[in-house]
Amino acid sequence: MIDLTFDRVSKKYRIYHESEDGKSPSGLGRITRRLRGNWDDFWALRDVSFEVERGEALGIIGQNGAGKSTILKLLYNITTPTKGRIAINGRLAALIEVASGFHPELTGRENVFLNGSLLGMKRSEIRKKLDSIVDFAGVSAFIDTPVKRYSSGMYLRLGFAIAAHLDPDILLLDEVLAVGDAVFQTKCIERIKQLRNDGTTIVFVSHNLGAVQSLCDRVFLLRKGEVYRSGPAIDVISEYEHMLTNMPATASSRPTDVDATSPVHITSVNLFNTAGQKTTMFATGDEMRAEVEFMAHEALEDVVVELRFYSIFHNLHSHFSTESDDVKLDLEKGRGVVEFFCPELPFEPAAFSVEASIRRRESDFTQHLDYKHATNLHVTKGKPVNGAFHTFHTWSLKTDLHPDVIPVNAPAVGRNVD
Amino acid sequence: MSSSTVNYDESAGRIGTRPRYEIRPPSLAGVNLLGSLTKLAQYKDLIWTLCVHRVKVRYKQSVLGILWAILQPLAVMMIFTFVFSIIARMPSEGAPYAIFAYTALLPWNYFSSGVANATVSLANHAQFVTKVYFPREILPISYVAAALFDFLVASTLLAGLMIYYRVPLTLNALYAIPIIAVLTCFALAMSLLFSATQVRFRDLGVAVPLLLQVWLFATPVIYPLSAVPERLRPFYMLNPMVGVIESFRHAILKGVAPDMGPLLFATVIAIILLVVAYLYFKWVEATMADFA
Repeated sequence: MIDLTFDRVSKKYRIYHESEDGKSPSGLGRITRRLRGNWDDFWALRDVSFEVERGEALGIIGQNGAGKSTILKLLYNITTPTKGRIAINGRLAALIEVASGFHPELTGRENVFLNGSLLGMKRSEIRKKLDSIVDFAGVSAFIDTPVKRYSSGMYLRLGFAIAAHLDPDILLLDEVLAVGDAVFQTKCIERIKQLRNDGTTIVFVSHNLGAVQSLCDRVFLLRKGEVYRSGPAIDVISEYEHMLTNMPATASSRPTDVDATSPVHITSVNLFNTAGQKTTMFATGDEMRAEVEFMAHEALEDVVVELRFYSIFHNLHSHFSTESDDVKLDLEKGRGVVEFFCPELPFEPAAFSVEASIRRRESDFTQHLDYKHATNLHVTKGKPVNGAFHTFHTWSLKTDLHPDVIPVNAPAVGRNVD
Repeated sequence: MSSSTVNYDESAGRIGTRPRYEIRPPSLAGVNLLGSLTKLAQYKDLIWTLCVHRVKVRYKQSVLGILWAILQPLAVMMIFTFVFSIIARMPSEGAPYAIFAYTALLPWNYFSSGVANATVSLANHAQFVTKVYFPREILPISYVAAALFDFLVASTLLAGLMIYYRVPLTLNALYAIPIIAVLTCFALAMSLLFSATQVRFRDLGVAVPLLLQVWLFATPVIYPLSAVPERLRPFYMLNPMVGVIESFRHAILKGVAPDMGPLLFATVIAIILLVVAYLYFKWVEATMADFA
């Protein structure tokens, strides 16, 4: 059963130019500009065709301007294609933050009704779900307060909670999912997973490769408005990362407030498997070695190197520090490597982003000398994870038991109390 | 914080079977009047919520609240009475000028405030238009509905004036109902035309209030139709608002059946215009979000 069809869909936007002198024209200038045809046609999507099966989760990745959001806008019928045909089979909803549509003078309750209706919910449906929405957002005590008195967090949470209570056949997910604190994000992820398990078809657009890998079966890589690659999530994502790392600089380093005059810079962070090959793919329980390469512009005494593993939606999953492990590091001037060794990777199958930082021990833990989003880590199914994580462990059986140890089949003490 | 599962009746949200639909490039020929109206009907809850919302928001945090719906036309009526009756000695066909003016101001205000607010409704709600799909015509419709509500509130003052000036109410006053229905069609038509155009040409946000001001003087609101020179009448009567306003005043103030010619003309124009405006709106709607 096909839920979504894109049949040779193209979308053109017309971009009008400013006049030569850089001033935006007014009045007659504007009219002549339109008549002269002083514009460029920008094709946000070109001949894109695909189908999404019922119950499938499709991820769409690609750089800014690749056409990801345009696909969502077209699916959600916010705008229409210039060419082609889109067929939709089912009730479609977008899990987006709608708090920007709140009216400040209205109470939380009134805004839930207003925004719920905007999203296409019936009043009776909203009435039924109101308690659950309010509870989800954690604003029960303030539901009859005008939302202008809300904190910005409450505002966003309530907006998102409404969208989370739609019961679509097809769910569209956008970047904005990263709303609120870790607890709230976990709730949102739970909600999405619940919908997924219920057989909801999902289209997820994101820059967050980890999140895409955790949620999606199949992934599209868009490039300049065209589908560049499509296939199983893990393959397409690793190809995309390969593309990114082969692009000139800074593509993967996140902007930080670390200044260029810092005495030490992290030049790269690489992960190596047990065979010594550089990779980002590991299975649970695999041996993993991380090398943090740095360039010290002067000798530095007593520094702390830290590695952070972020999971879906940028929740901190694990944090390792030479400080808490009581390792003293003195750096000499020049290049060097700090190695992190993990004999058995404990993480469950998911994707993580790895961030490395370096700082002086005495400084505040936010005062980094350098901080880099270094690499991604894709964990696939390996050793079983029953629960949250795997850990190194052994079992053993002992049979020559001491006589005063109770045999396992003996009746338990206190069993026959009556 | 409570548990993270969403615990409501899952079946409550599902409305019938899965809808199937297609999205194609916009074309005037592809606009489906019946389909659009069916879709609009599905959103009746949103229409209701937004209309209530308009009224609520307008008067929230104001001390006089809903009284403003009466005070505003009352003030205009008093100014008109002072300027046109006391200073300019405008004829008012035998009725006291105050009630003569107010009877016309009431439907005129409904029309002009509805259209003026609706014109900017889409551009002012870009945050809805670019984020969520719903039939966009609901936004201008909600402003016309809010203006209708104000009209009903302000009508109570008309009743008061009629008692004060001892104007007898006849059965012919019932003509007011179809007249207001025609006026509503006309207001909706203008609102759809202007709001859809305003998204791309913001000039309308300024031009429409000006147009309405000029329009007021081209309509027998502050003066009687009888004051319009005979040789100008053929052109003057092309304004559909003439038939509407004049008929309303006849039915309420004079207690006689309205002159059917101009009223019928206004009815035909209003209905044709509403259909054309709606088709145009649905055509423009397809790419509205690209400009909002």
